Formats: sequence, C-alpha cells, structure tokens
Amino acid sequence: MPVSKPDSALLILGHGSTENPDSSQPCWDHAETIASSGQFGSVHCAFWKEEPSFRQIWPMIEEREVYLVPNFISEGYFTREVLPRELELTGPTTRRGDLVLHYCDPVGIHPAMTGLLTKRALEMLDGSARPEETSLIVVGHGTGLNEKSTEAIQTQVEAIRAGETPFARVLDAYMEEAPYVADWRMLTDTPNVVVVPFFIADGLHSYQDIPVLLGIESEPTAAASQREIFRQNPHRFGDRTLWYGSAIGTDPSLAGVIVDQVACFDEHYHP
Amino acid sequence: MSLADELAARLPAGTALEFGELRLSRLDDGRFEARHRDDADTAGGLEGIDSVRDLRDLAKSDADGGYRPLKTAPGLKRGWRTETGCPREFLARLDAIYPGLFAAWAAYAKGELPPVPLRRTLGRQTGMYRLANTIDDAMAERLRRELCDAGCLRQIAWPIDEGDPAETITAETGHLPLLCTEACTFAVSRARELAKVARSVSHGSRVTSAEKSTPHDP
Repeated sequence: MPVSKPDSALLILGHGSTENPDSSQPCWDHAETIASSGQFGSVHCAFWKEEPSFRQIWPMIEEREVYLVPNFISEGYFTREVLPRELELTGPTTRRGDLVLHYCDPVGIHPAMTGLLTKRALEMLDGSARPEETSLIVVGHGTGLNEKSTEAIQTQVEAIRAGETPFARVLDAYMEEAPYVADWRMLTDTPNVVVVPFFIADGLHSYQDIPVLLGIESEPTAAASQREIFRQNPHRFGDRTLWYGSAIGTDPSLAGVIVDQVACFDEHYHP
Repeated sequence: MSLADELAARLPAGTALEFGELRLSRLDDGRFEARHRDDADTAGGLEGIDSVRDLRDLAKSDADGGYRPLKTAPGLKRGWRTETGCPREFLARLDAIYPGLFAAWAAYAKGELPPVPLRRTLGRQTGMYRLANTIDDAMAERLRRELCDAGCLRQIAWPIDEGDPAETITAETGHLPLLCTEACTFAVSRARELAKVARSVSHGSRVTSAEKSTPHDP
C-alpha cells in the first residue's frame, strides 16, 4: 500500500556486519527504491554493526516525524531490546523535543512474507521441476538459547501449509537446532527440494554457512559480492535435486513490505 | 538552514576543505567536487563517479579488495573524483563515504550533539556485550590508544567516565573534523575482548592462589 508522507522521514534499521560486505546491501537497495518513489521526504538506513550506526543517525534526519522500520526477520532480542535501547525509544511512538518517532513492526512478520516465500521457491524452480514432486524448506538460524528464535519461521510454514500450496511438503529447518537443515535428505522424501533462506541478506549465514550444511560447498566461500560467479542451480545429489536461493530479504518486493509496515502502523495507532 | 545549505555555506566558491581523507572543493562556477586528498594535485586521469551507490561501493573496500566495515579507517581508495552542482546531492555523496559525519559536525558545532562517556555506552550493553563494562580505566585507555588512535581518523570527543571533562574539538582552518561523540561497535567489541582476557587471567590467578593455599603432599 503506497503512502504519501513528504514531511516525514523513513528510517530502515538493519543489523549490518563487520565481516560480510553484503549484509547491509538489501537495506540500501530497498531505501533507494523507496526514495525514488517519492513517498517520504527522505529515506535513511542505520545499522547495529555498520555506519551510520543507530547512535549516529539522528543529526542526519531533518524531518521532525520519522517512521522506523526494522529490516529484521522476526520479533525478538534485537527488535524488542537492542533497537529501542540504542534509539532511545519509549513505545510505539516516542516524542523527544519536537521529534516524533514511530516504531513499526519488523518486515519479517508482515503477512506478505508468506506469499513471497512461495513465489521465490517457484521462481527458483522456473518450471524445471513439478512443485507437487518438490519439498519446500524454509531455513532459519535457530538457536537453542532462545525458544522464540524459530517462531517466525514456524508461523510462515504453518501459513503456507494452511493455504493452497503447490508443494508436496513444506517444512522448517535450522542451522543450529533441530530439525537441522544439514539433514535435508532425511527430512524430505521427494525427488526435488527447494530451500529458501529466511534471512535478510546474503550474508555470512545464508551465503557462506548454509551451503556447507546443505553439501553444495565443502567449505565457506568468499562473500557473494567478492565472487565472480553467483552459484548455479540446481545441485544434484544422486537421485535428489536441490535448489538453493538468495535470502528472502533480497527480494525487490521487500521495499513494498517496508512501506506497508508504515501504513500498518498508521492504521493501528492513528498517530 | 538545511544541512545541504550549511555545507554549501561552509564551502564558498573557489575554496577547499579537508575532510578525513577527502578533499572537498567548490569550483569557481559553484559546482562541488570531492576526491581523495592525495589526488588533490592530480590534473587528469581520475575516474568520474556520479552516484551515491557507486561511491558507497568505492568506500566499501580498500585498494586490495578487502572489506572496510569502518568507514573512517584510513585506506580510502584513490583515483576518482565526484562532481555535482546540487548541494543536497553532494551531501548524499559525502555520506556514502563518511556516513553522517558532516551532520555530526554541524550538530556538534551548534552544541546539539553532546559526547557520551565510554562508561555510559558500555554500561547499557546487554547480551554478549554486557561484559564490556567490566574493563578498568587502564584497559579503556589502552582501547583508545590501540583501536581508536591507531585505526580510525575520527577525533574523539567522549570522555571515559561520567565525571571526566569532554575534549572540545575545534575545526582548524581549511578542515572539517571527523568527529567521534560516542564509542562505536568496534570499541564495544574490543572492550568485551579485553574484559574476557582479564576475566580469564583473573580466574587463572584465583586457581593459582587456591592451589598455593592448598596443602600439597610432599
């Protein structure tokens, strides 16, 4: 849903990385798309691990009303604790002097993500395999330290199953907790498997770590932008065929999801 | 006055400013130009870069292709120039290389960006960084010396403790300072590393003391 807020700024909040040069790229790409649409007075990005940091961003923004959208995959430690603390937010709307800050939901929990996962998986197959003979695995990080870490992906998988999915099976898997993505051959019984990483960027985890767990690479490669050739699908393992794609957060339609989180905030809170 | 207008006002036609490793200049016709300061006297042969995106890519890696996560680390690539007649676009291009640094200086110069003591930054950390604020003052000094002074071009305005006076940064003639009003993610990470080492040494020494106090069989 497009918005018209020429007197407001949009601030996209990302994690960023001190190790991987591609982590912040989707934020910048989506910011550029949204800025060119002219829906906001200005569009900015700020990061936890890159510059401009959450702490550096305020002098850059000249509008007095700012919508903050976390470009994060789930609600959790970052969106509930780190971002509010570093940005000094006190609730959905924070007033600081003449500055009014609206803190929107993260992109990953937007309902559009469900359809996007299916769309990405079908695009990857590109008609070369029948979805009814294919399992869709949505893969995330997962950590035994936080039971909420798998919730966002489980929600997406349940939503896809509840709809009219063309895929034979839809399941979730994780890097660091069961069901492990490294066990994809045991977790699925179809000849074809398509794996969509539920991550914001083609960074350390989705581009470098998961391919090793899947068996596509024998060891972590250089970052995507530092390689001459992006990986080619599909990958054959005996009688099984595997497709592995870019992080869901790199999809250009995420720019629309970011804007829609602003519209959702207005609809919910009527600021 | 907008930030872009402020930038234009600080750079009248026919003048130049040094800004970190950049040389900013205003041509006689009023257009803005930026290039590496070490290319200041290069007459030709510089690659023209005309977009924010391309400048961000330029600043992302060093001459050897290595990732530069800290934009104010020395090592900005040479051999390019960027030129525009629009002050807002010029500011956006500078932000691609030094994100937010002009805005920070403009706010600081007006007294609107008070420095944050290191202890306050470290003290609010949670999760894996909670340990960072256990460093002592000598370790904090070491962090500033070994990490900040050695690897970053910013001038530090933040004090270590709440009660310490903040350093006042002033702009020398012909320079725009790269200002640091609060310790960054690299400093917090290094503080955590120093704290971890100190803790393991301390644990080690406790074990040693315990061993010393434990009677040994002859």
